[in-house]
Amino acid sequence: MAQAQISETQAFETDFWKDANLRKMWDDIVPGEPRKTIPYTLTKEAIELYCRSVGETHPLYFDEAYARTTLYGGLIAPPSIHILLMFSCTPADDWMRSPGTVNAGQSWSYNIPARPGDIITLQARALDKFIKRERLFVVHDNVFFNQRGEVICSGRGWTIRPQ
Amino acid sequence: MTTTFEDLNAGDTIDGPSFAVSRESIRLFCDASLDYNPLHLDDDYMKGNFGKTNFGGVIMHGMNNFGLISRMITDWAYPAGAIHRRLETRWVKPVWPGDTIQPTGIVKSKQVTAKSRWVLIDVMVRNQAGEKVATGEAMVEFPTAVRP
Repeated sequence: MAQAQISETQAFETDFWKDANLRKMWDDIVPGEPRKTIPYTLTKEAIELYCRSVGETHPLYFDEAYARTTLYGGLIAPPSIHILLMFSCTPADDWMRSPGTVNAGQSWSYNIPARPGDIITLQARALDKFIKRERLFVVHDNVFFNQRGEVICSGRGWTIRPQ
Repeated sequence: MTTTFEDLNAGDTIDGPSFAVSRESIRLFCDASLDYNPLHLDDDYMKGNFGKTNFGGVIMHGMNNFGLISRMITDWAYPAGAIHRRLETRWVKPVWPGDTIQPTGIVKSKQVTAKSRWVLIDVMVRNQAGEKVATGEAMVEFPTAVRP
């Protein structure tokens, strides 16, 4: 709990080694147990930075005047913004940050778009863990909500744990 | 050209954007996604073994593939008034700095349900050698009534 409070007030820690010893190993992860999460206010700047990293140029993400004329009625984030939200809505000791965590695949369902100014919350947990070809897998499941409690998107990921 | 549900056929193809992968593009993805896993930053660390795997150097985020496929699907769907509803992906090969990758899609099937219309699309990402680095499936809704 103290850790979650610290994470909310501090800048994002980009050194993933720093809190490595605080994170759960495969042995410690309990499928079904909720992960600690933190609310995150999505900004236009964060959306634009994400867009730049994958070459998104659609005016729905950048041009307010254009976006107002569409059925979306204003600026939205691309559906894949959950890639950012996964890290912005979890604290530094979350096991998704363990150095060497290998992403094996993900599946996501999209309900409504995230928008700049949304206060986004995450409900997340490990859903399953297993061993396959000597590799340690954990399946995580996640649902992102906006400030009105509406589901933005939900998804699962398969990760191979470093230990 | 605007796509309509009626005109779509199994086998129709979608060409996604070509993307040049570099240390800079990977670093930008770190900053944009807040995923600073040393897999994407630390060459010395990447000389080591990961259980049964050795990558030999920093690799691109798997989710960068995901973001490119998603970009292809939305750019294809928006002009048609269609909505990107689902994307499932699996990473089959690592992507390294210097690679050029490109997602593509092939319409697999169409389905009409009680309240809407759906298109299933096989998606993949290939590198410059033509090797598949990611595969998956997308689902796009073509609503019968206009709603986001």
